Amino acid sequence: MDIGALLTTAGSLMLTGMVGVFVFLSLLIGAVTLMSNLVTRYSEPEASPVKSPSFKSQGVPNEHIAAISAAIAQYKSNNK
Amino acid sequence: MEGILNLWNATGIANFTIPSLIMIAVGCLLLFLAIAKGFEPLLLLPIGFGAILTNVPVAGLSDPGGLLYYVYYVGIDTGIFPLLIFMGVGALTDFSALIANPRMLLLGAAAQFGIFATLFGAILLNYVPGFEFTLQDASAIAIIGGADGPTAIFLASKLAPDLLGAIAVAAYSYMALVPIIQPPIMRALTTPEERKIKMPELRKVSKKEKIIFPLMVLSLTAMFLPAAIPLVGMFCLGNLMRESGVVDRLSNSAQNEIINVTTIFLGLAVGSKLAADKFLTVETIGILVLGALAFAIGTASGVFMAKGLNRISKTPINPLIGAAGVSAVPMAARVVNKVGLESNPHNFLLMHAMGPNVAGVLGSAVAAGILLALVG
Repeated sequence: MDIGALLTTAGSLMLTGMVGVFVFLSLLIGAVTLMSNLVTRYSEPEASPVKSPSFKSQGVPNEHIAAISAAIAQYKSNNK
Repeated sequence: MEGILNLWNATGIANFTIPSLIMIAVGCLLLFLAIAKGFEPLLLLPIGFGAILTNVPVAGLSDPGGLLYYVYYVGIDTGIFPLLIFMGVGALTDFSALIANPRMLLLGAAAQFGIFATLFGAILLNYVPGFEFTLQDASAIAIIGGADGPTAIFLASKLAPDLLGAIAVAAYSYMALVPIIQPPIMRALTTPEERKIKMPELRKVSKKEKIIFPLMVLSLTAMFLPAAIPLVGMFCLGNLMRESGVVDRLSNSAQNEIINVTTIFLGLAVGSKLAADKFLTVETIGILVLGALAFAIGTASGVFMAKGLNRISKTPINPLIGAAGVSAVPMAARVVNKVGLESNPHNFLLMHAMGPNVAGVLGSAVAAGILLALVG
């Protein structure tokens, strides 16, 4: 009777609800995966400049680096 | 003599009724659970106190003109308080685990079966004499299975305001009971070998991804499920404030001051719905039973989904993390971690469980949106 009709509605609600949740969250999975791929692809050129500041953070001034590399070059040419 | 009589009639003692005394006892019980047992104290304390205040005779705090009446009207009738809390929850949520492994959203989706199965169960309960749940009532009760307080209150205030007190109390009590309800179900449905499965470490997620994520969730919701926009929108606002890194002051307010102030009044307003005539009914017992059922089914379906995913996935998935799909952040994830450690003391599942855990928050918000769209 009345409850039977309600049960049918509840059953179909259960079905549509679960399908809805799964479809929506699956769409989100696709979107997140796509977004992550795009972001990592576009970020790669930026990845190298990110590394250079780590040199600076070690507190070695550029002049020192220049002096050291000059010394290494000199040492190498002297020992040839 | 008449003056003294009038004064006597204005005292509480002369006006107490048995039902209101019982409700004050219920309020005291909630206070006891919050203070002595540490059950969700942030909510059960104001709810318990609100229950006591609203049942004080003569004072009429919940009648038109009373404080609690207005707090309820302003905060819950309009839906504002749960949404403000949701903004704070968004600002507190870190989606990295989910972005690193988006398939975990499937676990968050599976656990919502607890909601829809309970909806069916609530209607089925109508065969028992004394129960007359409409489809709206059943939907509001079922959302307890989403294990998400603000979502439950939001939906109940829209669909079944009369049942709101019982639904909120059930939702928060069961959330506090997650460490007791979930582990037996998790152990029963998994083998010791499955519980020992180690999962590969998650990749690091960039800041850009974390900023785009809430915007993406928002646009998908706007396109496919606008009924869920109040919940999802506020949630994404909070999350964007957190991840953008440029509005730390706002993000901190949302995480602390706003959520705290709102929690006080939300609790009081929910407590004001614990009036004797609304709470001391058979329906309340039904709601408590259905709520526990919803939690149990949600946990089980999450675990089953994780087992299924483990079968087809190249990378191993520990079925335990499916249980975290019921949201109840971060309690459910901690429970998963604890049960995992019992089987293998070196297997830390916490970060892996956070993925389905936050997916559960989104899942229950989406389920609430679907219920609002179909039943509301």
